[in-house]
Amino acid sequence: MTYIEKPVVPKVVKLEEPTATEREVLNMMLNTGSDIYQGACKKRGSTCKDEYRKVCGVAYMDPKDMARLGVSNWDTVKVTTDWGEVIVSAVHSRDAPHEGTIFIPKGPWANVITSHETYCCCDPTYKGIYCTVETSDEEVLLMADLMRAVYKKYVVDEETIPELESLGEMPVYKKK
Amino acid sequence: MAYEPPVTDYDEIVENGTCAFCGCNCDDLDFLVKDGHVVGVRHACRLGASKVMEDMDQRLLVPMIRDENGELQEVDWDTALDKAAELIANAVRPIFYGWSETSIETMKHGIRLGELVGAVLDNQATICHGPSLQAVQNVGYPVATLGEIKNRADMIVYTGSNPMNSHPRHLSRYSTFPRGWFRQRGRFDRTLVTMDPKYSDTAKMSDIWIGFEQNGDYGFYNAIRAALRGKEIDQDFVSGIPKEDIMELAEAMKNVQFGALYFGLGLTHTLSKQRNIDMAIEMLADLNKYTKWVLTPMRGHFNVNGFNIFMAYEMGFPYGVDFCRGYPRYMNGETNTIDLLTRKECDVFMVIAADPGAHYPGGAVKHLAEIPVIQVDIHWGPSTEIADVVLPGSFIGVECAGTSYRMDGVPIHMKKAVDKPETCRDDEWIIRELHERVQKIKAEEAAVASK
Ligand code: SF4
Repeated sequence: MTYIEKPVVPKVVKLEEPTATEREVLNMMLNTGSDIYQGACKKRGSTCKDEYRKVCGVAYMDPKDMARLGVSNWDTVKVTTDWGEVIVSAVHSRDAPHEGTIFIPKGPWANVITSHETYCCCDPTYKGIYCTVETSDEEVLLMADLMRAVYKKYVVDEETIPELESLGEMPVYKKK
Repeated sequence: MAYEPPVTDYDEIVENGTCAFCGCNCDDLDFLVKDGHVVGVRHACRLGASKVMEDMDQRLLVPMIRDENGELQEVDWDTALDKAAELIANAVRPIFYGWSETSIETMKHGIRLGELVGAVLDNQATICHGPSLQAVQNVGYPVATLGEIKNRADMIVYTGSNPMNSHPRHLSRYSTFPRGWFRQRGRFDRTLVTMDPKYSDTAKMSDIWIGFEQNGDYGFYNAIRAALRGKEIDQDFVSGIPKEDIMELAEAMKNVQFGALYFGLGLTHTLSKQRNIDMAIEMLADLNKYTKWVLTPMRGHFNVNGFNIFMAYEMGFPYGVDFCRGYPRYMNGETNTIDLLTRKECDVFMVIAADPGAHYPGGAVKHLAEIPVIQVDIHWGPSTEIADVVLPGSFIGVECAGTSYRMDGVPIHMKKAVDKPETCRDDEWIIRELHERVQKIKAEEAAVASK
C-alpha cells in the first residue's frame, strides 16, 4: 500500500512512572532525517496534501516523555531551538525507548528549526540540536501555509498572515 | 493495514525498468502500463513504487511565472524560458543546485551553462554526503561494488544509516539476505551489525545493535581503533558502550573473512561531520591489517553519486564547483550552497530536480525568499512555493532515458517506459535551451559593448 492517511503509531500507555513528574517544558535533543513514510509521500509528490503534514509535521517521542508532558498521540506541541520554533504533532515513536530525544522527519517543518551552521564543512547540522518541547493549542500548518507563514516571500503585509485563507491541499496557480 | 489486491488491469508490462529513487538503483522493476500511465510496479519497495506511481494532482504540467501579485501564472514555453535566461544572464553570483534526480546528459548542458555565466554548480551532496567526499580526499577510500559485497561479505555493518527506511531493498538485494558465490546460505552466513543511537528499524533486525550516545560516533570509532591496535582502553564506558563490548566487537570484526561497512547521514550530520568519516575510514585501514574490509557511503538519490563522479571527471572537483573566475574552483565553506546562501551572496538560484524548500535549513531558505528562484522539476513542492519561474521537466527512468551512477559508482542506463505529458519537456532539452538563450543574450550584450 503506497497511500496512507497517517503513519501507524503505537498507542500511548500512560505509565505509572514514579519518575515521570509532569513538566511544562522538556529540554530535549532534536534529530531529523529520512523516514519511510516521509520518503514515500515526498517523492510521490503529495507535498500539499494533509498526508505530508501527517508524516513530516510530527515529532516522534518516547512515551515516557509524552507522559511527562501530558500529551497523547496527535496532540500538538511547540518545538523551539535557537533557530526558530514550529508546531508539530506529538506521536509515539516506534523506535522507543529514546528518552530525551525527539525525531522529526526531514521536511519543511523540521527545517524551520534545524541549524544552518556548517562549520565550514558544507553540511548543515541537521542532527543533535538542543530544543525545548511544550504543549500548544495551535494547529499544524499545511505545507503551503507553512512556507508562506515562515518565509513570507509573496506576502504583502506580514501582519495579516494569521488571517489569510489557507492555500489548501492543491496547487494554486492561474491557468491560461 | 488494508489488503490491496494485485493489479491485473493493464495493457503491457515494461520489463527491467530502473528505479529512480535511492542510491540502490534497483534495475529489475517491471512497470505495468495502462493507457500510457504506470498503474503498478513489481519488485520495487514502497519508496520506489510510490515514486513511479506518482501523484498526478501535483505534477507540474505547464511553465509558470509569478505575476506582480505574487501568484503563479501559466505562460507558454518561450516566455518562461526567456524570463529564466534573462535572470541567469544578468546574475552576478548564480547558483545551479540539484542535478541528483536527473540524468548525466542533463548535467553536461548544465556545466556548459555554468561555465558561460560563471555560476556555482552544486548538488545534494552539499547537504548529505559532502563530508564523506571530504574524508575520502583526506584519507582515501577502500571501495567495492555491491556485487562483490554480495558474493563475499560475511559481516555487514550499517553505521549512522537506516536502510530499512531509506534504502529498503539494500539488505535484500545487495548486502544481507541474498545468496552469494561464497555465501551460499545468504542471511545465515552473514552477521549484521547496526551502529546507531536510535533503535532503528534496521537495528531491530540486526544480530548486534550498538546504540552509542548521540554525537558519540567519533569517540566510539577511536575506541575500536585502540582495541584493534592492542591498546588498553582506560575508561569503563566509551560513548555509553561498555569497554568489554568494544573489545569483543573489535575482535569479531578482526576475525571475519570479508567485512563491509555502509555509512549514512548519521555520521555526516552530527557535530564532528567529516572527522567522523575520517575515523571510520581509518578504522577500516586498521582492520585491513588483519582481514579484508571495504566501505560504501549510502547515497540517497539515484544519481547524487553521478553528479560527483561526473564533476570530478570533468572539472576535478566533486561538488560545490565555482566558475566565477572563469576556471573551476572548490573551497569548502566558501563555494557551497548553504554557506553562499547564509552569507547572502547568491543573487539568482536555479534548482534542477531537487527540493531546497523542503530540505534546506530555514536559515538558508530565508535568503531564497529574497532572490529570484528558477525551478526545473516534475512535482509541485515546497520549492514551488518560493519559485518565480517554474519549468516542468520529465521523469528520468520512466518518461525519458538517461544515465545514472549507483552508490558504488556503477553507471546504469535507465530506460524509458511511457511517454511524458505533452506539455512537459525533457530536462536535457530545457537546460540546452537555457544555454542557447543565455548565449544569445551574452552575444547581443557583447555586440552593443563593442560599438
Ligand atoms: S531500494 Fe531504492 S532503488 Fe530499490 S526499489 Fe527501493 S527506492 Fe527504488
